[in-house]
Amino acid sequence: MEIKLFNLKLVNKRWVFPSLLLSIFLLLPIFALLLAFLDGGYSETFNYLIDTVLFDYSINTIYLVFITCTSSLIFGVFPAWVISNYSFFGRKFFDVVLYLPLAIPSYIMAFTYIEILSYTGPIQSFFRKYTPFPKDLLNYDFMQIEVLGFIMGLALFPYVYTSSRISFSLIGSSYINVSKNLGLSSFQLFYKIVLPLSRPAIFSGLFLVIMETLNEYGAVKYFGVNTFTSGIFRSWFSLGDVNGAIQLAIFLLIFVCLLFYLDKILVKNSKFYYSKNEDILKEGMNKSKKTTLFFLICSIPFILGFLVPLFFILGNVIFTLSETDFSKVFTLTLNSVFTSSASAIIIILIALFLLFVERISNKKLFFLGTVTSLGYALPGAVIGLGIIHLFSYYSLVGTFFVLFYAYIIRFLAVAKSPIKSSIEKQPHSFDETGKNLGLGPFKLLQYIHFPINKYALFAAFILVFVDVMKELPITLILRPFNFDTLATQTYEFAVEEMIPTSSIYSFLIILFSATMLLILKKMIDKQVYVSRG
Amino acid sequence: MKNFLFILFLCFCGCSPKNNNQEVNLYSQRHYSVDEMLYENFEKKTGIRVNVVKANADELIERLKNEGDQSPADLFITVDAGKLYKAREAKLLQKIINDSIENNIRNELKDPDGYWVPITYRARILVYSKERVQASELSTYEDLANPKWKNRILVRSSSNAYNQALMSSLVASLGVDKTTSWSDGIVSNFARDPKGSDRDQVRAIASGQGDIAIVNSYYLGILLSSENENDVEAGNSVNIFFPNQGEDQRGSHINVSAIGLTATAPNKNNAIRLIEYLTSEEAQSIYVNNSYEYPVNPNVLPSGIVQKWGSFKIDTLNLNSLGRYREDAIKIFDSTGWK
Repeated sequence: MEIKLFNLKLVNKRWVFPSLLLSIFLLLPIFALLLAFLDGGYSETFNYLIDTVLFDYSINTIYLVFITCTSSLIFGVFPAWVISNYSFFGRKFFDVVLYLPLAIPSYIMAFTYIEILSYTGPIQSFFRKYTPFPKDLLNYDFMQIEVLGFIMGLALFPYVYTSSRISFSLIGSSYINVSKNLGLSSFQLFYKIVLPLSRPAIFSGLFLVIMETLNEYGAVKYFGVNTFTSGIFRSWFSLGDVNGAIQLAIFLLIFVCLLFYLDKILVKNSKFYYSKNEDILKEGMNKSKKTTLFFLICSIPFILGFLVPLFFILGNVIFTLSETDFSKVFTLTLNSVFTSSASAIIIILIALFLLFVERISNKKLFFLGTVTSLGYALPGAVIGLGIIHLFSYYSLVGTFFVLFYAYIIRFLAVAKSPIKSSIEKQPHSFDETGKNLGLGPFKLLQYIHFPINKYALFAAFILVFVDVMKELPITLILRPFNFDTLATQTYEFAVEEMIPTSSIYSFLIILFSATMLLILKKMIDKQVYVSRG
Repeated sequence: MKNFLFILFLCFCGCSPKNNNQEVNLYSQRHYSVDEMLYENFEKKTGIRVNVVKANADELIERLKNEGDQSPADLFITVDAGKLYKAREAKLLQKIINDSIENNIRNELKDPDGYWVPITYRARILVYSKERVQASELSTYEDLANPKWKNRILVRSSSNAYNQALMSSLVASLGVDKTTSWSDGIVSNFARDPKGSDRDQVRAIASGQGDIAIVNSYYLGILLSSENENDVEAGNSVNIFFPNQGEDQRGSHINVSAIGLTATAPNKNNAIRLIEYLTSEEAQSIYVNNSYEYPVNPNVLPSGIVQKWGSFKIDTLNLNSLGRYREDAIKIFDSTGWK
């Protein structure tokens, strides 16, 4: 190890060291949590929770992850398949809009759907008042774990859609043609050839879905579904044992590391993934009589995942317009746009820097760089806790510096994935040529990697922008005095059960995020990048 | 690029709170429009700027603990006396000694130890279906464990702080054993697994999924004043019942929004002035007229809709018990399967 490090220093030490230092700097909150844990010793709460509720919580977590994954797969994979391979009415439109549910934070999706489905919501009220159907036709208790998984699937399926869409459109035509010549039906082709080939890509998308489900707190609490993350907060908020919470968080982290590793292995074993085949789409596509079916496959996730909640929220916005404080709305919008864009710029620069150094030096040393992505798996409040332990005494908590630092830790992984796939696709001959022409690493970055990875950088910017815009727990606890954002305000009204009043703020989150996602889609069309390669 | 980073750095530094005499810094769990209104009024009257960070109480306690004597916070506001007890146990608070504040507060709501000052209070009471339940059938919280309520009781989950406070108050009054068997009884009477918000419990009564719910009167007020006529209808399908009102009974459970003065408050005088203002008749009237909370100042009456629910005897338990018995309460929830 020592020797390797020494060798490396000789190559690009002026780049390697800062990047290692930066990685360590970004891991500090996790170290702080580990230290706090070692300092506090083994927590009794941990035993207590194991003896009482933790088993149930774990079962719930697995069940919820299962349902959420299943519905994300159904809503993500099938539309991706038909859009990649068939031409039908509305295909182009759906290809653009199926990203949009990402604009709606999952807890807002959950609150909104329960409002819509509730006894006093529009659907049940309509049936009660204007139809001869029996009064109790839809009078169910909809706050069930299955419904929650379904709703979270609606909010998260675009991760699966994106990765499978890219994978499907890149699968070589030879595979498809050979399969057809061998007499496989379309279904068999999909099931036997395309799915196995795309497994790594689909899993990459699913990986994000699992992370998001694991660290979800608002929606699960509302539904009364206790997951592992509920256990963390039961220990901290209810039993007042921070150390027990840290211990559980570390437990969660270990589990996520395993998943992370699994993801790596799956992706590593899939070299065919990068097949260049721009013509496939046209060749593989045929005019289909099944247009209606395909239309349904694509429209259901779009309508349920985006249109329905959007229109309900918009309805509430109009309903409460007269009592809306527009100067406040304006200030909060500015705050949200400021934090989202500033942190997104910082985050993509850091991601590019880390990945670039990884490229120009020995990769094996960069397990640290990979570990920095772990922040994505931790509940925001736990990252907040680590940072409070780290910085509070220096009066830094409550500055933008620390707030952005927390965003970097939480969302670095999001920025890395498109940039990484883009950088990896660039042939090393570019670097060689650059070096031969006498370019140092900085010029190499400036003249070659910055411009050729431009689209990936924009994509990363937008993804991070959207995530920070929706982010709640970190902003809540680490923000400066008198600083509110659209997300914090939405939460503050929603938690006080004033859903209609919160709607203007959630609407703006959706509006900005959706616009950004549409721009993203335009860019993807210009240059297909491989998500999470 | 370097210039850009430098400017960014300056921005960060510029945004951190500076100590000067004309401000007071709040860590608050409360986040209502009426609070903002009152802080603005205070600023206008005194020229003292009010800075607020709003977050979860336990997170703010963690921040206070780690900041130690470097903390910018002067005041810590919660919606649960239990959390102030927790802060005090962690030695984060100092006593508040001031006669005019003392005079602003109803005696039975005061912290006997003087570490916090209440600013409003709320009652956690029962609502029942007008159609299916007679008021005469109801009596006490304890009675909710009676098998006659099988499959009829609605309540939100035990991760909710209001439920935790209620359970703590029962532990304080009845002891762990009795409270455990009470919890056993009420859990077996649940109409469904605990979930949703307080408002959702009222809707569930309207829809016929259950007959009685434990809620904060506060949220019934929000439901009744909703612009959605269906919500108002749901709100009107229930009546309010204040439990434990009999002569030998302790009264209905309440909890306070309250302020603690931090041990290291850098702007102590301003902080005291703000507490004085928030408990004054003027501010108390603004509180009650813009929310459905009860005033702590004896000279101020609750708002119209709240008055209509009638006056009631409050449980005069030392509210520090809501923190002292919190752990017991959680363990009872978990051992009796109150999710």
